[in-house]
Amino acid sequence: MAPEFTSTEQFRAVIDGVMTLMSEDPEMGPQLREADVPQRFEFDDLDLVVNARAAREGEGGNLHWEWSDEIDWEPKVRLTMSSEVANRYFQGKENVPVAIARRRIKAGGDVKSALALIPITKPIYGLYREMLEADYPQLVV
Amino acid sequence: MRPDDDQTSASTDDDRLTANDAAERVGVSPSTLRRWASLGLFTKNDTTGGWGPSAIAQARALLKLRERGYSIEQIQQATEEGRLVGYSEELVGEVVGERYSLAEAAEQSGLKPAVIEELIAAIGLPAAALDDLGAEDVEMFGFFSTAIESGFPRDALLQTVRVYGQAVSKIADAEVRLVHLHVHEPLIRDGVPSEKIEQQMNVITAQLLPLFSPVIDHLHRRFLNHFVEQDIVGHMEDDAGASEIGQVRVAIAFADLAGYTQLTEEVGDEEAAGIVERFVANVNQTLPDDARILKTIGDEVMIISSDAGSLTDWAVGFQMLNNERPLPRIGVHCGNVVFRDGDYFGREVNLAARVAARAAAGEVIVTWPLVEMSGRHLEFEPIGEVQLKGFSTATELFLASLADEASE
Repeated sequence: MAPEFTSTEQFRAVIDGVMTLMSEDPEMGPQLREADVPQRFEFDDLDLVVNARAAREGEGGNLHWEWSDEIDWEPKVRLTMSSEVANRYFQGKENVPVAIARRRIKAGGDVKSALALIPITKPIYGLYREMLEADYPQLVV
Repeated sequence: MRPDDDQTSASTDDDRLTANDAAERVGVSPSTLRRWASLGLFTKNDTTGGWGPSAIAQARALLKLRERGYSIEQIQQATEEGRLVGYSEELVGEVVGERYSLAEAAEQSGLKPAVIEELIAAIGLPAAALDDLGAEDVEMFGFFSTAIESGFPRDALLQTVRVYGQAVSKIADAEVRLVHLHVHEPLIRDGVPSEKIEQQMNVITAQLLPLFSPVIDHLHRRFLNHFVEQDIVGHMEDDAGASEIGQVRVAIAFADLAGYTQLTEEVGDEEAAGIVERFVANVNQTLPDDARILKTIGDEVMIISSDAGSLTDWAVGFQMLNNERPLPRIGVHCGNVVFRDGDYFGREVNLAARVAARAAAGEVIVTWPLVEMSGRHLEFEPIGEVQLKGFSTATELFLASLADEASE
């Protein structure tokens, strides 16, 4: 049975952790900022949305994200998935094209940009697993 | 300092030859070798007296240039411009040291001379290599001899070394070309003096070369682990007796960029090559674990997978991630193929290539076995029975796409 998040709050805390890891990583962070691809993640089983974009002048870190659709920017890529798929996705256990074909991930917008982000974000798999092993071992897949 | 011309009968040490021995190794007369040295045609000479590996390797390259019709003056000018830099002691390796005849190598290694000849040909080395065998060659033949003695079939060994030869020569070719394009050529274009070029090239060689073998060894082990794992899974999934000996059942996909030729005309070779590079990288980055790129030919990639279902899913999903020209076109088929020399051959491979050729931009075309194996999340629109080029019977083709959610 796939590991599950205990609550919406736990899921938000974990995704905040992922975003922080990506934003602060000395390699990924600047590359994601440079790529400047605003993304909208919808987690349909929890009815949650997080929008992420490159940090602007004066904002800390390389990424900025908000748990809302009330944002002053337009997402370029939209990805919809369940919290379980998100957990697998950030651990590198979900192949994106295969997941799209199997409807585990729905992709919209400038999907070509999403393709370009795949190699940039690959280091998150290891970092995310490390974070889970330390703080949320039941979520490791 | 020039190589010591006075030494004509004895080597100075293990790595240095006399002028006579060096000339014999290069294939010119001692006087020619001395004349080239006195004209300063070598960009790097030995500092300890005698003729070392670097000087001999350079002299051989000079001989090749002379055989191609270049005059001494042209070579001199190229030397002054730093164009002939390339050999360092670390790079050339075993061009001096003890030499072995074919018979001696056979005796030392325990292989028959005919087998050594076969192995040299399989590796892809020129026949002339048989006249220039060193201790490391003999040691390698010893490994092959052990492999045969331990029961590894000779035909399989020949196929293995053929793959080694192809893969390693490709690596060496890429290393030399990339250093040439990204290091050597820019230095020449910037008008950097030849001594500085030589210095910089030597630093790069000295720093990079020690890394190559450990990296290749490490990657070899990583890939071995991966393929052993795949093999174990394959044993479980393979229907016993479904394939003949030497055959394997695999899914094969061919993918390329529609309209690539026209695109090259529009944007030029450099930009088009960059687009292909990104396309191949995207394929490589997104393939499922059980699939891999077997080879690329221009803008076309050939993909092999042990899981036909996931390869078809990947193809459909990959197309959905591509919405800009040039769009890929993909054909997928599966069947029993012959595995030989690290490559896959046979009717089913040819068929897969023809299927891909029928796909239009953004499409995934598959054959009936894939339709049977795929899940309900995909739908397959029959195209009909198509007479594919070179095949005597028609093949039923289908256009694969994501099914409507309601129909799943």
